[in-house]
Amino acid sequence: MSIPLDSGTAKKMSAFHCANQCTWCDGCGDYGIWTAVKRALSESDIPPHGVLLCYDVGCHGNTSDKILGYRFHGLHGRVIPFAAGAKLANPRLPVMAFGGDGASFSEGVGHLVHGIRSNYPITFVLHNNGNYGLTTGQASSLTQQGQPMNSSPNGIPEHTLNSMDFVFSLEPTFVARAWSGDIDMMTKVLKAAIGHRGFAFVDILQACPTYNHFATHSYLMEKCYDVNAEGHTPDDFSKARALALDTSKRIACGVLFQREDMPSFYERLEPRKDCKTTAVEEVQIVDTAEWEHEFM
Amino acid sequence: MRISLKVTGAQGQGVNSIGEMCAKGLKRAGYCVFGYKEYMSLIKGGHSSYQLDVASEAIESSETTVDMLVCFNHHGLERNALEVKSCGIILHQTPQWKYTKEQQKVLEDRGIRTVYLPSEDILKKLKAKPILGNVLVTSVVWALLGRKAEELKELVQEQFGHKGEKVVAMNFQCIEEGFAFLGEESGKWKVESGLRLPKSDPSWKDHLLITGSEAMGLGLIHAGCRLYCGYPMTPSSPLLSYIAGMQNKTGMIIKQAEDEITAAQMMSGAMHMGTRAATGTSGGGFDLMTETLSLDAIIENPSVFILAQRPGPATGLPTWTAQGDLLLAVGSSHGEFARCVISVADAQDCYDLMPEAFNIAEKYQTPVIVMTDKQIAEALFTQKPYDQKKAKLDRGNLVTDPKALKKLKSTDRYDPNAKDGISPRWLPGSLAATYCAQGDEHNGDGSVDESAKNAVEQIEKRMKKMKAMERETPEPVLTVMSNEKLAVSNEEPALDLLVVSWGSNKGVIMDALKVAGSGLRVGYLHYTYLWPMKTERLSKLMKKSKKTVLVECNYGGQLGMLIQMAGGPTIKEKILKYDGRPFFVDELQKLLIANS
Ligand SMILES: Cc1ncc(C[n+]2csc(CCOP(=O)(O)OP(=O)(O)O)c2C)c(N)n1
Ligand code: SF4
Ligand SMILES: [Mg+2]
Repeated sequence: MSIPLDSGTAKKMSAFHCANQCTWCDGCGDYGIWTAVKRALSESDIPPHGVLLCYDVGCHGNTSDKILGYRFHGLHGRVIPFAAGAKLANPRLPVMAFGGDGASFSEGVGHLVHGIRSNYPITFVLHNNGNYGLTTGQASSLTQQGQPMNSSPNGIPEHTLNSMDFVFSLEPTFVARAWSGDIDMMTKVLKAAIGHRGFAFVDILQACPTYNHFATHSYLMEKCYDVNAEGHTPDDFSKARALALDTSKRIACGVLFQREDMPSFYERLEPRKDCKTTAVEEVQIVDTAEWEHEFM
Repeated sequence: MRISLKVTGAQGQGVNSIGEMCAKGLKRAGYCVFGYKEYMSLIKGGHSSYQLDVASEAIESSETTVDMLVCFNHHGLERNALEVKSCGIILHQTPQWKYTKEQQKVLEDRGIRTVYLPSEDILKKLKAKPILGNVLVTSVVWALLGRKAEELKELVQEQFGHKGEKVVAMNFQCIEEGFAFLGEESGKWKVESGLRLPKSDPSWKDHLLITGSEAMGLGLIHAGCRLYCGYPMTPSSPLLSYIAGMQNKTGMIIKQAEDEITAAQMMSGAMHMGTRAATGTSGGGFDLMTETLSLDAIIENPSVFILAQRPGPATGLPTWTAQGDLLLAVGSSHGEFARCVISVADAQDCYDLMPEAFNIAEKYQTPVIVMTDKQIAEALFTQKPYDQKKAKLDRGNLVTDPKALKKLKSTDRYDPNAKDGISPRWLPGSLAATYCAQGDEHNGDGSVDESAKNAVEQIEKRMKKMKAMERETPEPVLTVMSNEKLAVSNEEPALDLLVVSWGSNKGVIMDALKVAGSGLRVGYLHYTYLWPMKTERLSKLMKKSKKTVLVECNYGGQLGMLIQMAGGPTIKEKILKYDGRPFFVDELQKLLIANS
């Protein structure tokens, strides 16, 4: 399988180029995701100053100073609520959040649940490398059972969380999957996610040659395929869920599910209906005299 | 002169609604009212009370004893009867009630009269719903206070007018019946109570009756806060309820988050994006927020945390009051960084300190913790309408001008050479060089930099803000009692007794000083700005005072510890209270006199 790197948008993509050197391991899937994000942003005509990229803490979080754009690098597990708060304050600015499988399915799993449920209008990109990379290879709740890991030499006693089943149970409005070796596919789904009305969940199966010896680059390359190219349209919830869950033979990638008829959290806020300004623009001393009458 | 009345009953029986109706009527009749609620952490049952202290001059405290006790059930008669002062009145609704012999004797000695109101029978006779019992009881209280039925009718009309004529008429009938009841009964019981309202002062009429939480909500709105995010926890919940209830009027974004970590993160995200946002919680929730507070410090994000105290540890006494979290506010969160801790004392502060908190947060680009407690959050204050001209919007070193934005370099964001450590801040979306709000130690543009040199530069940059804040925060305020009047003093006079405290104690201390006068020169030093801690003025005053006493609602004397920590003097005499109740004015007076 060839991995196209040149999309013909190199000039615009270079706007996101940052002089800091990458610090990931050789062959790390984060290189591919990093590239695809820059490409998706430039192909979506979003300049560096026109986006807020929010990073969780983990190997993926080290992207925060390897790319230009307004960026934030916060706490482990907490990236979703920060990104959501930022977005609500200025819904005009695209906001993307990036988190690892450790961050999203252990430390901050509650935020993922409520992020999807709230349908915040943000893009969430899961760097799914099946382990805690940055803390040197402990098991995450998505690590395969039986796999010896740092701190669990006999493999984990808990069963592996079925992440896609879990995500679909939350009635998401957008679910896509890609893998870190396929920049074209990642770019495609990221662009779709950025354009989505509500909360876009993008699961990127990420190679971690250092600690993940089960879902390797070549394993993923072999099993992943473009499900949309095979005719899947993302409007059928049960079909999408079944496709997402069945990874025994092949792994379906692409936009698995999307519905645009659901208003986002912001659109549901009664006081913001017909409001032309953003909360960022509204900061001023407000006269409260009229509201004091009820206390007279 | 002041009088007090207390309504007791099970939660859900209408204690609060009677309290509120009486408070409103009394304020409109020209009195300053202070309302104090006690209740338990349950929904129905339990024993709760609403006490109103009433005076013609300003008061912000309660007494331990009352002139009138109103009881919905026998628990009030059992537990609270002996709180009634000489010549007071007990109004109750328990048929065939008999006091114990001991109680009976005390009540007789004190000349206290007991009035039984058969409210159920009266309501039945009127074919009125049980809920109207509240109006009936209020009307008897009103008659006992020597007020007119018309005043009450006016209130009822206002409150229930929208429910239609029938409802109003039924209410009116109850009021008339209440007044008539006393007409008969007064002959029988010879109700000629010692209960006399003081002379009224019409200037109270145009004041607001407002709880600390409502005042804080208005203050947040006033400050330009556009997003509020919280998770219910007493005593911070009433603020969330109030501000959420106002959203359709204010257009604010309100989010009841899934937990306090979320609330803190959403507030931080919104602040980072450039609006004004706040979050509020109590001790347990604040514990959960502290990692975020630390993050805000390193990314130099202005942020506002409201910490409404109740007694801990753990769930503690959920519906009671305390000042046990001062050292938590000052010492919470990992790492060393600049922060500002301030505390409100009353409904005036609840409003005024909101714009102030945001101004400080934005000026120094660092977290601000605003402390309050259950006492302030739920007490009812008689408050002058707020000055709309006083607050100024200060957004600090926020760059928004397009030309100035163009000139910025990425490395300006966290420039370690910025004056006072306050570097320019600009918002995501600005047409300018971009940077990373970086939670790892970073250099100017937010790139991770683990070098020793950079670490020192950046820590020093952030700590310089502490120095600047210390320079610019006001000293504590001294109020001196002289010629029977309290007045703020900008000098450091020689005193017989210097009282030092913070937060909700202010009101009761002021009230206690007024009465304690007795020829002594007494002063009260109130700390609003708690961190950075200023001790210079205190030192000067202590040198000239015969005696200094610390007053706090905690076990350790945390303000005293903080003063010592900051290199200030040691205050040896302490009046400390940690039973979940605020200080009462008569109780505090006795303690102060014993200490002077
Ligand atoms: C509160 C907190 N707990 C623990 C850590 C340590 N920590 C840093 S990254 C990480 C796990 C990273 O795993 P994942 O989220 O999957 O990201 P990856 O490194 O695999 O990209 C942990 C536990 C932390 N930074 N903060
Ligand atoms: S540990 Fe794994 S995820 Fe982290 S940089 Fe190395 S290869 Fe990448
Ligand atoms: Mg991981």
